[in-house]
Amino acid sequence: MLPLLNWYDFDPLHDLYEWIGDNTADEFVYVLAAVVGATGILSFVGLGALVNVWLERRIIGRMQVRKGPNRVGPFGLLQPVADAIKLIQKEVLQPLAADRALFNLPPILVFIPAMLTFSVFAWAPDLVYADLNVGVLFLLAISSVTSLAIFVAGWSSNNKYALLGAMRVIAMAISYEIPLVLALLAPVIFTGTMSLAGIVDFQRELDVWLAFLLPMSLLIYAISATAELNRTPADIAEAESEIVAGFHTEYSGMKFGLFYAVELINSLAVSGIVASLFFGGYSLYGLEDYIPPWIIFIGKIYFFYFGLIWLRGTWPRLRIDQLMAFAWKMLIPMALINIMVAMTEVLLWRELEWDNWVLAVFAVVNIALMVVMVGFFFRLITRSFYRLPRRVRLVHDISVPTLPAPGSAAGS
Amino acid sequence: MTELHTPPYVVNIGPQHPSTHGVFRLKVTLDGERIVDAEMVLGYLHRSMEKLAEERTYTQNIPFTDRMDYLAAMTGNLGYCLAAEKLAGVDVPERASYLRVIFAELQRIASHCMANGTFVNDCGAWQTPLMYMFREREKILDLFEMTCGARLTTNYMRIGGVAFDVPDEWYPAINDLMAEMPDRISEYEEMLLDNEIILARSRDIGVLTPERAINASASGPLLRGTGIAWDLRKADPYCVYDRFDFDIPVGHNGDCFDRFIVRLEEMRQSVSIIRQALQQLPGGPVSTPVPLALRPDPGEAYACIESPKGELGFYLVSDGGSAPYRWHARSPSYINLTVLKDLSVGLSLADAIVILGSLDINVGEIDR
Amino acid sequence: MEDTAVIVAFYVLAVVTLGSALMVATVRDLVHAVLFLVLSFVGVAGLYITLSADFVAVVQVLIYVGAISVLMLFAILLTPRSGRDNAPVSFAAPIGVLAGLVGAVIIFVGLKTDWAKPGGGNEFETTAAQIGEALLDPYVIPFEVASVLLVVAMLGAILLVRPGGGGEPG
Repeated sequence: MLPLLNWYDFDPLHDLYEWIGDNTADEFVYVLAAVVGATGILSFVGLGALVNVWLERRIIGRMQVRKGPNRVGPFGLLQPVADAIKLIQKEVLQPLAADRALFNLPPILVFIPAMLTFSVFAWAPDLVYADLNVGVLFLLAISSVTSLAIFVAGWSSNNKYALLGAMRVIAMAISYEIPLVLALLAPVIFTGTMSLAGIVDFQRELDVWLAFLLPMSLLIYAISATAELNRTPADIAEAESEIVAGFHTEYSGMKFGLFYAVELINSLAVSGIVASLFFGGYSLYGLEDYIPPWIIFIGKIYFFYFGLIWLRGTWPRLRIDQLMAFAWKMLIPMALINIMVAMTEVLLWRELEWDNWVLAVFAVVNIALMVVMVGFFFRLITRSFYRLPRRVRLVHDISVPTLPAPGSAAGS
Repeated sequence: MTELHTPPYVVNIGPQHPSTHGVFRLKVTLDGERIVDAEMVLGYLHRSMEKLAEERTYTQNIPFTDRMDYLAAMTGNLGYCLAAEKLAGVDVPERASYLRVIFAELQRIASHCMANGTFVNDCGAWQTPLMYMFREREKILDLFEMTCGARLTTNYMRIGGVAFDVPDEWYPAINDLMAEMPDRISEYEEMLLDNEIILARSRDIGVLTPERAINASASGPLLRGTGIAWDLRKADPYCVYDRFDFDIPVGHNGDCFDRFIVRLEEMRQSVSIIRQALQQLPGGPVSTPVPLALRPDPGEAYACIESPKGELGFYLVSDGGSAPYRWHARSPSYINLTVLKDLSVGLSLADAIVILGSLDINVGEIDR
Repeated sequence: MEDTAVIVAFYVLAVVTLGSALMVATVRDLVHAVLFLVLSFVGVAGLYITLSADFVAVVQVLIYVGAISVLMLFAILLTPRSGRDNAPVSFAAPIGVLAGLVGAVIIFVGLKTDWAKPGGGNEFETTAAQIGEALLDPYVIPFEVASVLLVVAMLGAILLVRPGGGGEPG
């Protein structure tokens, strides 16, 4: 171990806790560790929101053949600070007919699940804030609170656009919760534990990432999580070109800032879940002995966050009924088949006590299955799009059809 | 079991809305997400141009036409100048006609860049294709600025020709642009036309049948998307359009996607026309001198051109004075907009926005 | 006996749960009532945690807060405005007294009963595995019956909202 790593390794902190524990009661250390950990997570979340604002605007700017913000600070790095100051000093508008008590609640309510998600992540081999035994289920439970908060936001604004946006969000959120849960069930079955630290340990010990073993789970989870986050291509909740700003139309100033920040923090949280569950968390095939593991983890989080930004910059958005049809008719069957296949494989692997090389066979089978099923469903859905040619017909001379005289049966 | 009766839900789209292409108001009655009724309320951008024009000379009325369809100023100018020349019996030198054709086609490319970009933006792509198409539009606007000093409200055509001749640095700029333009259009087609989400949002949405289009006097890409090959540049050639060889792109189904691809292909045909015009560009004067206060003989004239949005026509009545007695513009967006209600009833709110984007309206032209 | 943190948590959660349940019955606006109900669900989830039933607590939040409250909100939104008033009715006082009597009886019975103390050590195992094994071994028939019931309910819901109205047999 290189001497420089000791500073990153939080060892002095452990020694401090032991010293305090020896001198005072044990519960005091517990509470102190909780407070320090919470502060750490909150600072990561806060910094993450600021960094994400900058990242998102610069990267999407680059994808749109333009620079992003580059005026405020070098490379526009102080742009999020400028945005925050602008939002704070704005007038706080509250519609007269809005429900006073309920109007101020949603920005706070929607921030809580975002923060809580980070508490179950495994940042390093023994650096978990709350190693819950039901970690995965906990993540799903608190993400379902977000849709409730969005509904309260839309309802209390007393605004038809807001209510329309809120209804769309609720319908989509509960539709996509089912493939989300089903997709996350497969890694839980495979690893036998619901705690995120346990799943990362499983991947570390077997030196295989669950992304290769269960690719369809990853695909379904990525799509469902994008829909739950209300990000493009499923961002009908805030489809600016249709219903202005959806459920946060009436929120101004820092309340809107909180909604915006929460969307970014939730994107980070989802990236964190993908990194932990499917891509090994803090482990990188042994590299975590030389680089602090939590840096590897944060790197992976931002790698997948870049993927989410990429999706946002490239794709148009789908209509609400198309999204719901996609969830119910395409994702749920795929998720169910995925669970069945995963269960069969786990049964064969554990009960028959086969060697670990059989996991490679499972990986190949699963990838082939994913390709087949995605191809099948894709053809099913897009069959009607290719009915007509997608290029124009070029005509050289004028030709106007002769129509029947008006008043006759065939005329319109 | 009885039906669940819910009261109708009236939502106002606009007039302040990021996506109504101007100040345009649409009162939609919704049943859930289905549109039951759509009522248009126009007039938010009415500037009484037609009344103001009755107190200004014919040349002073040219800037009004810039501001009618502010995204296609050159073609607005062109239509009006053709009508005024018809009324006053003024001839136009050949170089001026060629320059008019070149700038009208450049304006068509710029306007279609904007129309297609905002259409895909309405489909949901966060301005990414719009920014790509704005690259080309910026170069075209630079060409405009080189020639007449303005990017948007160009005020370039005059009665009897054009205002200025092109400077020397204009020729290499436009040759470079026309050299790279077909590749760019192919790039847009490759990026956008195979995207399943755009297909899902716009195929079979807002289908306009040919009979309905003809009955509603639709024109422009709206009409050509339904399969009817009608283009005023071929049916009733003005300027020197009969000397060029180009094709008319025609759609298959009349839905939003067809209008989108018709516009893309029209950009390519415009490039071909500009190339032919640059090759044939003669020398000579760029306008016939016309008195400042032109007094045409009493009479009336109507001239129409194929603007990027459709058939733009100007109807002028003169009573012998220096100001027109009646100045009326047949704006294509206004006539094309009348089909919006029929197209969107029964579809959802998101579809109505996409249909509005594909109709390519410009409220300055509707309200004048 | 449990340590003090758990006792304090129990009392706080009990106050939250019972207080919000009381607000459900008395608050004026129906949407506020549903939100107080959501708060009482969360309180109950906390009580489950004090009993070391981790799986049940998280599932309580997932199902009740995430899905059932949404269902109730939709039901409220489909009622016309006039039916959404939660105003006190004339027989509120007698009903309150009756509810208080029933509550007193339950508390009395609960305190007087000789509850069987859980034997064995204080080792905590995650309850998810135990619930899973219980559902598949002793309680497999109720499990299957419940799934059939859910499928029937879903089919019924789909039939009811089909255009053309439901109510046709079969």
